[in-house]
Amino acid sequence: MDKPEKFIIDGIRLDGRKPDELRPMKIEVGVLNRADGSCYLEFGKNKVLAAVYGPREVHPRHNQKPTTAVVRFRYNMASFSVEERKRPGPDRRSIEVSKVSREAVEPMIFTEYFPKSAIDIFVEVLQADAGTRTAGINAASIALADASIPMRGLVSSCAVGKVDGELVLDLMKDEDNYGEADMPVAMTPDGEITLLQMDGNLTREELKKALEMATEGCKQIYKLQREALIGRYKKELEEHKEDVELVETITESEETSIESTTTVNIDESGGLDDE
Amino acid sequence: MSEEVMNGLKKDYLYSLILKNQRADGRDFEESRDIVIKTNIIEKAEGSASVKLGDTYLVAGIKIQPGTPFPDTPNKGVIITNLELIPMASPNFEAGPPGENAVELARVVDRGIRESHSIDLKGLCIVPGENVWLIFIDIHVIDDGGNLMDAACLAAIAALLDVTVPAKKYGIGEDFKLPIRDIPIAVTAVEIDGSIVIDPSIDEGRIAGAKLTVTSNIDGSISAMQKSGVGLFTPEQINYVADVAVRRSEELREKFLEL
Amino acid sequence: MNKRQIIIPGDVLSEDAGIAGDGTYVRDGKVYASLYGILSEHNKIKVVPLSGKYMPARGDIVIGIVKEVTFSNWIVDIGSPYDGLLHISEYPQRINSEDMSKHLKVGETILTQVKEFDPMMKVELTIRNRKLKTIRSGRIFELSPSKIPRLIGHGGSMISLIKKETNCSIIAGENGRVWIEGSDCNIDFAIDAITKIEQESHIPGLTNRLYDFFEGTKTQKNESDKEYEKESILDEILE
Repeated sequence: MDKPEKFIIDGIRLDGRKPDELRPMKIEVGVLNRADGSCYLEFGKNKVLAAVYGPREVHPRHNQKPTTAVVRFRYNMASFSVEERKRPGPDRRSIEVSKVSREAVEPMIFTEYFPKSAIDIFVEVLQADAGTRTAGINAASIALADASIPMRGLVSSCAVGKVDGELVLDLMKDEDNYGEADMPVAMTPDGEITLLQMDGNLTREELKKALEMATEGCKQIYKLQREALIGRYKKELEEHKEDVELVETITESEETSIESTTTVNIDESGGLDDE
Repeated sequence: MSEEVMNGLKKDYLYSLILKNQRADGRDFEESRDIVIKTNIIEKAEGSASVKLGDTYLVAGIKIQPGTPFPDTPNKGVIITNLELIPMASPNFEAGPPGENAVELARVVDRGIRESHSIDLKGLCIVPGENVWLIFIDIHVIDDGGNLMDAACLAAIAALLDVTVPAKKYGIGEDFKLPIRDIPIAVTAVEIDGSIVIDPSIDEGRIAGAKLTVTSNIDGSISAMQKSGVGLFTPEQINYVADVAVRRSEELREKFLEL
Repeated sequence: MNKRQIIIPGDVLSEDAGIAGDGTYVRDGKVYASLYGILSEHNKIKVVPLSGKYMPARGDIVIGIVKEVTFSNWIVDIGSPYDGLLHISEYPQRINSEDMSKHLKVGETILTQVKEFDPMMKVELTIRNRKLKTIRSGRIFELSPSKIPRLIGHGGSMISLIKKETNCSIIAGENGRVWIEGSDCNIDFAIDAITKIEQESHIPGLTNRLYDFFEGTKTQKNESDKEYEKESILDEILE
């Protein structure tokens, strides 16, 4: 596609979104049999799979850490995931993405519980459409929870970019190709930043606003991640309704903290009718 | 790459200094180490520079030759950035293909130069779609004294400012100076126990939780950022580092006027 | 009616740091979940995970598979991030180092006990106990270690029910490996029951559903009972 003349017309982006709107996200938890934890995630046209193995033994031994687990993250793009076939195997970009993605999730893991072991995270991009690293981090975070890896919390990730001189949330492919800036961010539920990269051009004022937009985006994603993890067992519990009084998954003490950090809709009636 | 184990007493000492608003080498939190930049140090390279940043020492060399452009940018020159963490520079570096640290450093250097549009790539087209100038930026770390990122970015831009394009050698007109339009400067800060310090020494880098590099341009805008390390930043800390980085880069840019 | 609440890491569970139990952590005086699982509030507040690796604890009875024989140790896979070491001196009889493989070969399964789990993550095993031994018959079924307590049930009620209804001998290792002995079709039957527990452990009313399960399959079982008797006689002869 050639560069469009304008990316935002009457406040609406090329794909019909508002500047602060995320692409739709679909999450499935526990999709793989062999892995200890897994997640399939679609973010717009991105389709990614994340798998977690471990904690498990580390070979060779000199790769062990004496007091903590080693976290390894492999981000890989399938050759068919992009318009022009990508040469298989790790290139410099994927080495870097793997590194920063690992550093985005590792602060949340209690690695000190598993000295000398390894926690392996694999992200496979099946289809790419800008924002694959953010999609991968969102999926990896869920797969880690699914593998019952002890964590401080989930991380959520999305990008903020600039097109037509205006900041927009979650760039899609054309916006990424021709945009003026791209800034992927990952955050803890408290809004602390575990991933931040930027290229393009931003003024300091724009940076400030971009961080605020990313915070809002990550909060929305956190809510979806949470729903996906809870929804997975909720369905089964629902099938056995006669045995169980399903409690709304937000306790009182939690309610206050969630309200302050996210926009969870509390009056959703137990979430039973949201399927 | 195997990590050296750090003496616990030393760690405690460094943490305790930070609590007292002090650093081991007596610097303020916002102060960088001394910088010495030398250019035109390798005659065989089209451009070169060495940078000494405190104990860190590295060399950048630029080679230029004509070649095929990328299909999606047929009328633009090409920049290829590579960085080597050679084993002589640190007991932690091993021979072999670039690992994730070397790749990350090279890519952040590359991004700063590319995104600031400091090189006029359109001015490096010889025959559209067929022949353009390829610019190879190679950075060798000779002595790792911490904060390789800032030193590498400085070396790259210093070497680029030194470049003469060898057109005559290839029978493509007269030699000319590489057209440089901006001087992107990277400034790195680390978070240690809630405090932010600029230009971390090697020991500060090792006890730091997270690291943030901000590359900024002459007009005070930002062209690249990179958070690395297993740690966190608050949005306020990021905005703070961006402010300091822009201020500091203005001082550093003066250095280039002296060259 | 039971309450079932699904928790994810980072959820705030309580303001009282004193009741923080397994699967939680304390930050700024509040109790947060560190695991994805089911909330359990008795004396302590806990999160019971629905999956996860076995972490050895001293005294645990586990089922291991010999993966390597060294000069004085058998290295045993116990389904944990850390392999178990069975030292030659922990074998019931005195044996010579060169005969180790004659007594216990690579690939053999043992019912063993964790003698020591030290801070260096070294797991020492023993089979010097009358009940511990090499397992040479029956089948091993694996489920998540976090579900073993559900399989055993209150005071062993669940596992007793399955043993009784299937005519199998069943030993559940803390590491999620279950040793089932009986006739082939009774073992299949027991595995069906255990699989049901594994899949539905987070749903209350499990015991009742398991009763129903056995009720529904009563007829099949009567057939297989006779076969089992025959086979157990055969087993005895073979032993």
